[in-house]
Amino acid sequence: MRTARAKVHPRRNLPSLLMVLGVVSAPLFAGHPQPKNPKEEFLVMPGEIGHSGGRLVVSLRGEPKTLNPLIAADSRSREVIGVMQADLVHINRATQLTEPALAKSWRISANGLTYTLTLRQGLKFSDGQPLDADDVLFTFRVYLDENVHAPQRDLLIVGGKPISVRKADAQTIVFQLSKPYGVGERLFDGLAILPRHLLEKPYQEGKLGQIGAAPNQWAGLGPFRLKEYVAGQRLVLERNPYYWKADTKGNRLPYLDELIFVFVPNADAQVLKFQSGETDLISQVGAENFSVLSRQPRGYTMVDAGPGLEYNFLFFNLNDAGEKSSPEVLRKRKWFREVKFRQAVSAAADREAIVRLVYQGRGTPLWGLVTPGNKRWGNAVMPHPARSLDRARALLREAGFSWRDEPGGETALFDSDGKPVEFSILTSSSNADRSKMAALIQDDLKQLGMRVQVVPLEFRSLLDRVTQTKDYDACVMGIVSFDADPNSDINVWLSSGGTHLWNPSQTHPATAWEAEMDRLIEEQMSARTFTERKKLYDRAQEILAENQPLIFLASPDILVGAKNTVGNFHPAVLEPYVLWNAEQLYLKNVPESASR
Amino acid sequence: MRYFLRRLGHAFLMLIGVSLLSFFFTTLAPGNYLDEMRLDPQIAPETLAALRAQYQLDQPLPVRYVSWLNSLIHGKMGFSFAYNSPVAPLLMVRARNTLLLTIIATLFAWGLALPLGVWSAEHLGRLPDRLLSWGTAVGLVLPDLALALGLLLLAVKTGWLPPGGMVSVDFESFSLLHKLGDLLQHMILPVAALVLSSLPLLVRHVRAAVADVLGAPFLVAAKGHGIPKRRLLYHYALRAAANPLISLFGFSVGTLLSGSLLVEVVMSWPGLGPFLLEAILARDLYVVIGGVLLSTLFLLGGNFLADVFLYWADPRIRKENGAG
Repeated sequence: MRTARAKVHPRRNLPSLLMVLGVVSAPLFAGHPQPKNPKEEFLVMPGEIGHSGGRLVVSLRGEPKTLNPLIAADSRSREVIGVMQADLVHINRATQLTEPALAKSWRISANGLTYTLTLRQGLKFSDGQPLDADDVLFTFRVYLDENVHAPQRDLLIVGGKPISVRKADAQTIVFQLSKPYGVGERLFDGLAILPRHLLEKPYQEGKLGQIGAAPNQWAGLGPFRLKEYVAGQRLVLERNPYYWKADTKGNRLPYLDELIFVFVPNADAQVLKFQSGETDLISQVGAENFSVLSRQPRGYTMVDAGPGLEYNFLFFNLNDAGEKSSPEVLRKRKWFREVKFRQAVSAAADREAIVRLVYQGRGTPLWGLVTPGNKRWGNAVMPHPARSLDRARALLREAGFSWRDEPGGETALFDSDGKPVEFSILTSSSNADRSKMAALIQDDLKQLGMRVQVVPLEFRSLLDRVTQTKDYDACVMGIVSFDADPNSDINVWLSSGGTHLWNPSQTHPATAWEAEMDRLIEEQMSARTFTERKKLYDRAQEILAENQPLIFLASPDILVGAKNTVGNFHPAVLEPYVLWNAEQLYLKNVPESASR
Repeated sequence: MRYFLRRLGHAFLMLIGVSLLSFFFTTLAPGNYLDEMRLDPQIAPETLAALRAQYQLDQPLPVRYVSWLNSLIHGKMGFSFAYNSPVAPLLMVRARNTLLLTIIATLFAWGLALPLGVWSAEHLGRLPDRLLSWGTAVGLVLPDLALALGLLLLAVKTGWLPPGGMVSVDFESFSLLHKLGDLLQHMILPVAALVLSSLPLLVRHVRAAVADVLGAPFLVAAKGHGIPKRRLLYHYALRAAANPLISLFGFSVGTLLSGSLLVEVVMSWPGLGPFLLEAILARDLYVVIGGVLLSTLFLLGGNFLADVFLYWADPRIRKENGAG
């Protein structure tokens, strides 16, 4: 048996590392009148020691649809649920590595199929009820139940079979996989452990989906619990007095008494609220708003947290056109399927200009799917060719394209059949950044003699065209990865994947390189060591760069801000950007006497 | 009585028609609620197919309409995919906030438009009338959106008023009086935006209607009898000019309501506006249909109220219906 102890890489120093791994048995403080439980095993968090009390106000762009983690599919709901629930193993948003959470440790068997997790002692839900292995069993039974329709269910199907869960004793749970999975413990991140004592009955009655998160209906293991919900306006969370993390002095976290989410309809309203001092934190700020807010900061600081995990790209429609299609469609598909054509477009795209003009310099040009925000998975040797119209022209010439002077004095590109190269690029009308990108590319391609129209479409209509009717030429889109590990985006790269955007849900890989990609991705999924996986994934990145099914453009920085009074503010480039360490956030201006 | 019954009958038919049309049009819109989930690489197609069946998105239109009617009768108005809950309770909370805004704005707009219009008609063609005409012309030209944004900008720059929202974060801890004050403070901006955007049109109509009757022989006679000017204007002239204005009232409820949806989005007012906008973009179709239906109901309510006023103000209608 190989023991994989928690891998934790704190950014500070060695002592704090020891603190994290160390288990402190509940040294309780005068300021925290809680029943003494000698068996309570805290997770000790390194970082600045804060003081208790106060409240933090954050705005949410739109209303969370539900507080029920089983049905939550939108990012606002996930953000709120993130501070109300806890998982067995957690991905540290700053280090991008897994670390112990409700499970204090885990062991992986030599064949990589069995995961044995040991729960912390003395864990309690936010209603004071104890947690044990039965709650964990119940949780996985519910997530895996087809009738519940939990979006997380599909993550728990490894190698075509649901993972099986059994209890070894009250503190130990054994997970059995049917196939080795590269990073099994990452599966547990974000899977909220559910309170069996409250949900067993609604589950039996099939009413689990209708449960909201009223205090008597639900209990969580996160740092905060529900206090008040005003539809359309705000959500007030209060400190969970049973939370299982402490600071290095042994103070039970979280520091804040209350965390309040106010709902606003759009990004500009978020900025106004932050600027006027009504809210304490702001995240997902656009580059324009960021520079406005940075101009005259009134008691707050704006932070550029660096490149995130969002990748924006242009892709061409590579679907099989079908025999009944018009000659025009068939002709276009022929260009798009010509790899030299795609390489030429990529060579002509001015990524630096996109970063400069769309993100006002707060972004990074992109040549591959791994953004610089991802600390471990980038392929360091991959070339970043500068923009070159000459190379683009040479590639087009090799592919049989030619140029002719038009009567208007412009030079236009023609294919080998003498037809002019004209196509349209779809973009989402609600995303100004991507519309600008498309316009810049239109201009870049004009220099190659291609006539391109930009068609902004409302987002759902665009999705309908790309994934359903497949009636489009090209499209500018973006994806934000949830996790730095490549496994989170697998369905984009597998040819059978529903989000294999350029040609989704193939029964057989349409091209040799897609078959090769499939093999690499499948292999890295079950490879056991990081080096092995990285090697396979590096090769996958090279294949993508060679074939350009997605022409990667740029990745925006994560732009956030906080009032100067907020302590322990360390924005991450993974969601939730500013609230990932909500339990450690504190207010510097709360007088000691006012704390609990 | 028959007059009102007939009006109610019309209103009912109108609602049926609107529900059918909105059903039809929401299905015409490309894409559906599940599209965005489809883009999530972590959700399997099987799960999406199961959800599709659960939401009845795979059923033909008439089947969905009938099951929606059924849920309407049970007071649910269909099911919101996004909120995973019946639509009616979701809509009611927001509709209350929208109504609050619209009713107060309607009262203010008419409360200002009547005296201003009469005053302007009284000074027809002279300087005050000209100034007011210019003012209303500017108001008419200014788009609602620009007005709302301008007001919001003013509030943020000066810090006099809260930048949107309906109540402060601490609302629950306030005393009753303080709560009321807080609510009023938050209402100033959206109400001002609504009133300013609808006022010019109303003032112009009042002015035209009153000016029309001012020259009438019965008013000249009344003036000759030495009836005071104020009573002359408000009791006799305005009453005679009321008919077109009352019809305009019903119409103005509709414009204020639609204006309110926009102002709500700009000013973060938790009413139907932001809620419906989000539902439309997310293709949460029963919420959209419910919202459209509710707005129609408000509009019909406004018109019905106008009919009642008209009945009360114009003896001819009473006569006509009493005889027929």
